[in-house]
Amino acid sequence: MQIREYNLRLPRYRKRWQAFMEHNGIHEFGQAELAPIEKTYVWEEDGELAATGSIAGKVLKYVAVCEKFKDGGALFNQVVSHLVNEEASRGRFHLLVFTKPKYVKSFGYVGFKPLAQTDQGAFLESGTPGVSDYLANLPHFERGKTAAIVMNANPFTKGHRALVEKASAENDQVYLFVVQADRSVFTFAERFDLVKQGVSDLTNVVVVPGGDYMVSSATFPAYFLKSDQEIGAYQAELDATIFRDSIAKPLHITARYLGEEPTSKTTAAYNAALSAVLAPQVAVKIIPRHTEAGEIVSATTVRQAILAGDQDQLARLLPPTTLTFVKENFADLQARIQKKGSK
Amino acid sequence: MEIKQTALAGTLESSDIQITLSQGSNGIQIELDSSVEALYGPQIKQVITTTLQAAGIDNTQVKAVDKGALDCVIKARTLAAAQRALGTVDEPNWEVL
Amino acid sequence: MEERLRRTMMFVPGNNAGMVKDAGIYGADSIMFDLEDSVSMDQKDAARMLVYEALQTQDYGDAELVVRVNGIDTPYFKNDVFAMVKAGIQVVRLPKVESAQMMKDLVAVVEEAEKKFNIPVGTTHVMAAIESARGVLKALEIAESTDRMIGLALSAEDYTTDMKTHRYPDGAELEFARNMILHAARAAGIAAFDTVFTNMNDVEGFQRETEHIHQLGFDGKSLVNPRQIDWVNKVYEPTKKEIENALDVEAAIEEANAKGSGVISMNGQMVDRPVVLRAQRVLRLAKASGLIDEDGEYIEE
Repeated sequence: MQIREYNLRLPRYRKRWQAFMEHNGIHEFGQAELAPIEKTYVWEEDGELAATGSIAGKVLKYVAVCEKFKDGGALFNQVVSHLVNEEASRGRFHLLVFTKPKYVKSFGYVGFKPLAQTDQGAFLESGTPGVSDYLANLPHFERGKTAAIVMNANPFTKGHRALVEKASAENDQVYLFVVQADRSVFTFAERFDLVKQGVSDLTNVVVVPGGDYMVSSATFPAYFLKSDQEIGAYQAELDATIFRDSIAKPLHITARYLGEEPTSKTTAAYNAALSAVLAPQVAVKIIPRHTEAGEIVSATTVRQAILAGDQDQLARLLPPTTLTFVKENFADLQARIQKKGSK
Repeated sequence: MEIKQTALAGTLESSDIQITLSQGSNGIQIELDSSVEALYGPQIKQVITTTLQAAGIDNTQVKAVDKGALDCVIKARTLAAAQRALGTVDEPNWEVL
Repeated sequence: MEERLRRTMMFVPGNNAGMVKDAGIYGADSIMFDLEDSVSMDQKDAARMLVYEALQTQDYGDAELVVRVNGIDTPYFKNDVFAMVKAGIQVVRLPKVESAQMMKDLVAVVEEAEKKFNIPVGTTHVMAAIESARGVLKALEIAESTDRMIGLALSAEDYTTDMKTHRYPDGAELEFARNMILHAARAAGIAAFDTVFTNMNDVEGFQRETEHIHQLGFDGKSLVNPRQIDWVNKVYEPTKKEIENALDVEAAIEEANAKGSGVISMNGQMVDRPVVLRAQRVLRLAKASGLIDEDGEYIEE
């Protein structure tokens, strides 16, 4: 058995690899799935593909072993082991896998622990620091009512502020998780900082990084599912399950506050799915959108206003802390929004 | 000695063990994942602990995924991880070996 | 040099715990732990440590223990040699040897290690892998470079690349190198090992090649798969006629010893030294192949 690196940008390798994946029941090869791949390895026996696996950041992807070479899992273990060592040589020791439920056992044999599992998919982690290390670094509350909010806050607006105020007033303490994945116009460090500044007067609110566990829809790979519809429902369900089992339970969180989504159908569906999974362990409170002078406040509107250079509108939508930051970095932010779109 | 960086050594293949060392302040804490844990868990942990102490490491978090490794393999992988964590791969401590 | 059987030298990837652990159970005459080509650059330290610990604790029976260290110009070389000498390896195999000086340089590091770890100087043996046109042409100089030398090995993959060809089923591209290495080894009184045969599916090709190098006079062959051990041993089995002849020589020696005579004679002819050595070798082979019993009697099928 020989290990080789495949450069998927070269058509002949891409073709051979994709045919192998399809033969093994994986059919999703969208740009969103392929672009993050850094390295792809294949195992060959006399020129024939026997197995493959890829790494994309801290995520192991597209792991497949041909039925013919399954042989008690030895080759599967070799593949995962090789990927783990490659990640380690890049300084990454905490790894994630999204896979079909039937492979949870195989990954379990090589040290991966499921964080959440639904009928369609599972989310597993291994290595260090894991979820227990993440939780150990958060403040813990022994008594009283504890609620949670998860937000991307790209950037933090008066709408976010209103939602936090409500949760703060109705509970003894509130965890405010800021999504950590860096895929937005505002970097995680900027978003985190602006949230902190924006709620600094609310003494029962703790602002914490979401780690790898507050997964926004953008970070979910779905390549092993068949259709887009399945993907949306699956993401929401898995995301909610992780929150319920791995986060809310150990932290004694009994309520989660969400902003209502009158405009986006996807997000509305996402909220509905979230409610279905979280209840009854975690009560879901959907709060109507905050308005300023009759206008719904959203981060998307804010980014559009930055691009348009509408200072008056920004002053209406943003709390003073965020407004100051936006003004100081105006040209830079405009350039970023132009490059990224108003995501 | 203090661990400089998280480090991993070993594989997940049969007869091997994968050892990950990261910073810790509460002695040698071992999280072991092994199919023979009930039977050999204490012995595996003992080998890891003794090896780390010999390498001069008293505080570290250890994650070990065992696939049926012999003591000599456990020792080898622990030492390799220790050298990597301490940044001494290129100048091995011959007295420890 | 100690005379021993070296029919099979089995390659064991140095970072593979399972194979390092089990290397002793297949009955190879020599086990070669590899720290070089089978180990990726970022695992050199881990492989070195694994082989080191295994050598300390594992029982590899009567097999001769060899380790292939990384090349003399790599950053891993010195630590490899130090660790292996400390672990008590019997033979250090140096890859890509092209001159006697390279072997002398190796020996200097081996000696430094022996002194450092209080091992009697001269304990550790060495051998050279010949992998280039220059190495082949310098074979005799390399074979005679040091009295720690136990053998030369041909490594065909790099050699054929250097020769601007590749391997063919009939092996014609290796003929010159095989003969050079074999002659150098014989002239220096050391062992000659043939190269590996990697296509596991071509059993017939493997047998043909093994018969060929047996005919040339090689001590044995390097192997990558334990399955090949029995195949090689089968080829190296002496015939009944060879064994009976060797037993006759042995009897003649005993008779000469009993008489206190310095002259060994058989069928009215004087038996000279090469014949004695060949007889001893045949008997070692016959014993290893299970063809004679403990009393030295031929076992009839």
